[in-house]
Amino acid sequence: MILLPCPYCGLRNASEFRYVGELSERPDPNATGIEDWRAFLYMRDNPAGWTTETWFHRAGCRRHFVVERHTVTNEVRDSRLPAAQLRDREDERATGGNVADDRGGATY
Amino acid sequence: MGIFNNRNGSENGYRKPARYSAFDLFRRGLSRADWPRAWRKHDLRPSYDVVVVGGGVHGLATAYYLAANHGITDVAVLEKGYIGSGGSGRNTAIIRSNYLTPEGVRFYDRSVKLYETLSADLNFNAMFAQRGHLTLAHNDGSLRTMRWRAEVNKLEGVNSEVIGPDEIKRLVPYIDTSEDVRYPILGALYHPPGGIIRHDAVVWGYARGADAYGAHIHQNTEVTGIDVVDGRVGGVKTNRGDIATRVVVNCTAGWATLISGMAGVRMPISTFPLQAAVTEPVRPFLDPVIVSGTLHVYVSQTDRGELVFGASVDPFTSYSMRGTLEFTEGLAGHVLELMPSLSRMRVLRQWAGLCDMTPDFSPIMGTTPVAGFLIDVGWGTYGFKAGPVSGETMAELIATGKTPELIAPFGLDRFERGDLMGEKGAAAVGH
Amino acid sequence: MSMRLKPQPGEVIDRGRRFRFTWNGEAYPAYEGDTIVSALAACGERVFSRSFKYHRPRGLLTASFLDPGCMVQVGDEPNVRGAHRRVEPGMVVSPQNVWPSLRFDIKSANGAFGRFLSAGFYYKTFIKPRRLWPAYRSVLRRFSAGGVVSPDSSHGYFDKRYAHPDVVVAGGGPAGMAAAIAAAEAGAQVLLVEEEYELGGHLRWGNEAELAALRELRGEVGSTAGIEVMTNSVVNGRYDGNWVAVLQRNLPHVVERLVKARAKTLVVAPGLIERPYVFEGNDAPGVVLSGAVRRLVNLYAVKPGERAVVLSANESGDAAAEDLERAGVEVARVVDARRGGDVVRANGGGKGVRSVECADGTKIDCDLLVTAVGWTAPTSLLNMAGDRPVYDGRAARFFPSRLTEDVLVTGGLAGDGTLEELLAHARATGRDAAGRATRTGRALRAGIPQHADGQPELAQSPPVEYPKLPVYDHPALFRGKTHGIVDYSEDVTSKDLVAAEKEGYDAIELAKRYTTVTMGSAQGKLETVNAVAIMAEATGSTIEETGTTVWRPPYAPITLGALAGRIFEPVRYSPMQPWHERHGAKPLVAGAWIRPDHYGDPASEVRNVRENVGLIDVTPLGKFDLRGPDVPRLLNHLYVNEWSNLDVGAVRYGVMCLEDGVIFDDGVTGRLGSDRYILTATSSGAASVWEWIDNWLQTAKPGWRIHITPVTTAYASINVAGPKSRDLLLRLAEGVDLSPDAFPYMRVRTGRIASVDGCFMWRIGFTGELSYEIHVPAAYGLHVWEALMERGADLGVKPFGVEAQRILRLEKGHFIVGQDTDGLTGPYGVGLGRMVKLDKDDFAGKPELAWQGERGDYLRLVGLQPHDGSLVPPEASQIIEDKNGVVGRITSSRMSPTLGRSICLGFVAPHLATPGTTLLVQLPDGERIPIRVTQHHAHFDPEGTRQRG
Repeated sequence: MILLPCPYCGLRNASEFRYVGELSERPDPNATGIEDWRAFLYMRDNPAGWTTETWFHRAGCRRHFVVERHTVTNEVRDSRLPAAQLRDREDERATGGNVADDRGGATY
Repeated sequence: MGIFNNRNGSENGYRKPARYSAFDLFRRGLSRADWPRAWRKHDLRPSYDVVVVGGGVHGLATAYYLAANHGITDVAVLEKGYIGSGGSGRNTAIIRSNYLTPEGVRFYDRSVKLYETLSADLNFNAMFAQRGHLTLAHNDGSLRTMRWRAEVNKLEGVNSEVIGPDEIKRLVPYIDTSEDVRYPILGALYHPPGGIIRHDAVVWGYARGADAYGAHIHQNTEVTGIDVVDGRVGGVKTNRGDIATRVVVNCTAGWATLISGMAGVRMPISTFPLQAAVTEPVRPFLDPVIVSGTLHVYVSQTDRGELVFGASVDPFTSYSMRGTLEFTEGLAGHVLELMPSLSRMRVLRQWAGLCDMTPDFSPIMGTTPVAGFLIDVGWGTYGFKAGPVSGETMAELIATGKTPELIAPFGLDRFERGDLMGEKGAAAVGH
Repeated sequence: MSMRLKPQPGEVIDRGRRFRFTWNGEAYPAYEGDTIVSALAACGERVFSRSFKYHRPRGLLTASFLDPGCMVQVGDEPNVRGAHRRVEPGMVVSPQNVWPSLRFDIKSANGAFGRFLSAGFYYKTFIKPRRLWPAYRSVLRRFSAGGVVSPDSSHGYFDKRYAHPDVVVAGGGPAGMAAAIAAAEAGAQVLLVEEEYELGGHLRWGNEAELAALRELRGEVGSTAGIEVMTNSVVNGRYDGNWVAVLQRNLPHVVERLVKARAKTLVVAPGLIERPYVFEGNDAPGVVLSGAVRRLVNLYAVKPGERAVVLSANESGDAAAEDLERAGVEVARVVDARRGGDVVRANGGGKGVRSVECADGTKIDCDLLVTAVGWTAPTSLLNMAGDRPVYDGRAARFFPSRLTEDVLVTGGLAGDGTLEELLAHARATGRDAAGRATRTGRALRAGIPQHADGQPELAQSPPVEYPKLPVYDHPALFRGKTHGIVDYSEDVTSKDLVAAEKEGYDAIELAKRYTTVTMGSAQGKLETVNAVAIMAEATGSTIEETGTTVWRPPYAPITLGALAGRIFEPVRYSPMQPWHERHGAKPLVAGAWIRPDHYGDPASEVRNVRENVGLIDVTPLGKFDLRGPDVPRLLNHLYVNEWSNLDVGAVRYGVMCLEDGVIFDDGVTGRLGSDRYILTATSSGAASVWEWIDNWLQTAKPGWRIHITPVTTAYASINVAGPKSRDLLLRLAEGVDLSPDAFPYMRVRTGRIASVDGCFMWRIGFTGELSYEIHVPAAYGLHVWEALMERGADLGVKPFGVEAQRILRLEKGHFIVGQDTDGLTGPYGVGLGRMVKLDKDDFAGKPELAWQGERGDYLRLVGLQPHDGSLVPPEASQIIEDKNGVVGRITSSRMSPTLGRSICLGFVAPHLATPGTTLLVQLPDGERIPIRVTQHHAHFDPEGTRQRG
């Protein structure tokens, strides 16, 4: 069983997590044509190699996070918070917000 | 149809294979004469009319029906390993047609029909054992789905019915049908024409048949690129050299995204490992195939006495075929919930194959935006049982240029149109 | 005839404990420590099974776990390794695969027809006529091998354990023991796993010096802190992340146990497996491997025969010859394969070897032929770790090639050498393993995020110096000058492999699949290398080019019981469960929950709700407490309808879609305070809804200020339904004005019920009656339920179950997500198109719903009533049109106790959805009955006057 590095909890058995899926950027729902929206819904890169994907620590901290994993070896080289949270933290920092924990890009 | 009574095949390259029969077995046994090769080795030609990528049951059946039904014999089947080394040799060999949608039922019913006469057509005994197929229902919802499938099946002329726990117990005395278990059995979809087959023999039979008509089967030949010029296919590159061709058929599983990607066609596919395991043999005690969607398990007993198990696909995408311990642990727990007296049977071997899952649990067949690049992919966990009909319909598509009605619902464009198939409910664990 | 020898220095039998057991219906003596087969061999028995295909008699070959001819049935346990399993007093052992008996087997006639039953013969015959194939098949099935399981076989007790060693050592021979000792001395926690009953490997059947070394090593293992020893256990698999499975056998009261460990380092030291030699007659009883002789004589004090020929290519063969001499066996000849000697065939009938023909033309009478032709490296665990071992022609065996950081190899798998050289290598390996485990442990700890900066630097421990092991030359002996058995358990001959190659099955994997070589009980540990060598010879290529088949887990067969362990399938009950049980509720398994389906008569439960008042336990309803100023934004995003204007005290129904526009869940949400909401989801959808919300909040809208708390089990939920529900609640509710004006339909109130604070209740109407869904702190659920039952007795209050609720809601025309919707159903199809607010800025599935609204070709959910109100078409019955086939289906159907007729919901094609249309439904028996599309989904009180009362 592979181990996954949760940015909050550290390395844990993969059985604690749920695989959410290949990371894909949601298009603007008000400015997207049918073709792009359906591509977002259904089309996948599905590479045999490094892929970026979302996982959910279902039996742990219940946090979604982003993982870079090799789909042939199942090796994991990076895990980090979702981009929206990282952006959010950047914003907070820019506005002098209180950043309690900036360990966003823990690398393994 | 068949290699021996079909005379439509091209004269070019046709070689009547050595006949297989009890008499010939006896004759050669007496004379101790060797049997000839079931399929030949060839040099790679610089061009073929049709290049089939993938030497599994789909690819070989396509080559066979191209020749047998349409007289197209200038065909190369390219296989990066040995024939049948992918999903065709890794599945649990279950055949059935008790699907949910009328389109699915019609399609798989044709496959079962082809399987029924396959041994005779190919003169190769694939040992199809129609022992019946039971899909257990452990709750109201799945019992309703079983009834749905039974009703659609009956309307399509396919033999399926919902039976109760007593009948289940009669068919399989080893099953625990008591009510005081965690997942009591409320009923089952019973599908008498379902059963199991020797999966490798299907591959070999088609290979031998296609070879007899002159198709070239190239093993250890890996496709490394596909030439697309002005939106149409011009040829393929392989580790053994380049081939010029105007028709390329992607009949791969596990690598479908990558092969289509070579032609610049994006796929709605995620690749998941699907694992299976086999026990040591015991004396035959289990006739039908048993499936439980709730418990994520299916079981059959081979003619050799082994139990063959499968489950749903792994919980995350991967191209790894190393297998996991969690799989056998979960599997064993679920098997023993169904049949507690098997606790001392031993698992001998586990393995994995790759499944190309699509969003609606249905395959993707037909043309693509690239002219001459055809696909027969996205077979999820149900590709083996569709091998013959896929070969037959893809061959028809190639030969006639028209998409056969049986596969019209499975086109790639359905995703852009938003016309997904309705198999999702029934196919989650669909063996 | 007793073949038991006088006491041997290394014997493992306890001559003070003699008992009897049953073999093949007769009583046999044994000593404690005997295996089943050693006890039988001591009594002169030589045949223990019949082979799979030809039903040839089979005896001892390896005298180890792998011995293919020694598979027996023990009681209700099939396929027991008789040459490994220790015999017990009273054990009932019987032969497998014999018919009618071990001594006279009818199917052995197959042997005479062997030339016609070449590998894969079944692919070439029984083809026509097709109608006879089932009959052929049933005959073929009679030939299946193996023991028997019965439906009454006891399950037995199994369990699992997690172990947390730093280093796992697979193999408890001298190298494994030395590695374990060195690793433990370096501070590692070590798990040392040995397949046999004692540590020691080949030292156990060795000479004085080896026995002395064994005693010393065992002593050290015992006295070194930090080593846990598991014998009769096997490292069964190495999975990704060095996740190691250990199978522990024959524990007290546990049939088998699966031990799982996240090994920081795995040391693979299984030793080598002796390889059989392929020649004519090589499977006759009396043809044995040198290791079998050494075990029989030295461990079990059993004389293996009377007159022997030994074919020796190595020290093991020479030592076996010495053992035989010492045991009083006449060694007629030692044929030295290192000097070109060879054996051509073994002659003999059913009883075993009678003579041996050598390559020099001599023929020697004997009852024992011992072969020692070389070794197979059991690289399975390395293959599982991604290694591709390479063949070394000089040593005639495979060696590891590329190991990962967390896997090390020592012992015979790593090289040859004297005992001292091997032990030195093993000690270095143990030290290295401990060092690597330390580094891995530090990295693991460093991976856990900490608030304080500055994680410990990884100390660079110095690289361990390994003594280099020599590799000895060994003759490459696989097949001799004749053909023989390659796979004993599958009855595959070398001739079969050659024939398969000629027919085009020329890759080793194809030949394996065609002939079934290596697919039997030993999974290739005895057969693979011979098969590869024979294929290489047949194809004119080398063993390197031919490659091997893939070794797959498990290393040794493991029971389903051990893999399953104790089966834990937790279930959930509401706090009112004791009451339900006391009152005869019939349980319904609903996902994780067990709920009352009914209390005896669902129809009367329905009538009581319509006429008086009923209580249903709806605790499994998914409930989430949402707080924060951005909750309306979230609700707007999750649901297709509008939520910005939900007042405090209001409740609203909503439908959720996924991004593909398909209905995902539904439920009501109430606003309890200015920034406090309770969102409900279906029982089965609750977990997914929670995760869906988390996903949006964490990955897309992290800035929204919302806290979500699951309160499904924090509240016990009771729906009080029926015209007298207000009367009942008036008696128990405090602090809530229940008058219709003060507390109208679709409103929520907080207050006190039956003296319990912190309750909330809302007026909603799944049953179509005046009803209050009350949610009380779970600890008081039973109390409130009992109070309602007691105080409502004169009002006719009765419980009702899920079945009655299904009828009530169907009468009222409410759909159930997942039953009246499927994987393609959007809100338009169920008649909720008007709810979809496309003018909201964004919500899940918005673009799809915009397009869905324009299409109009979706199936429509409609109310349906059969013309004949006494017929209830079963749910999933299909709606048929002659020209179009299936045009719809019944999704829900029941006999309505209220209306006295059958009622349904169903999907129909758009052109058939007009109220009043008559359609045909096909019943399961094939009869088609007319059914009418009704005006509304609701069959009863479509205006909703009752629920608004």
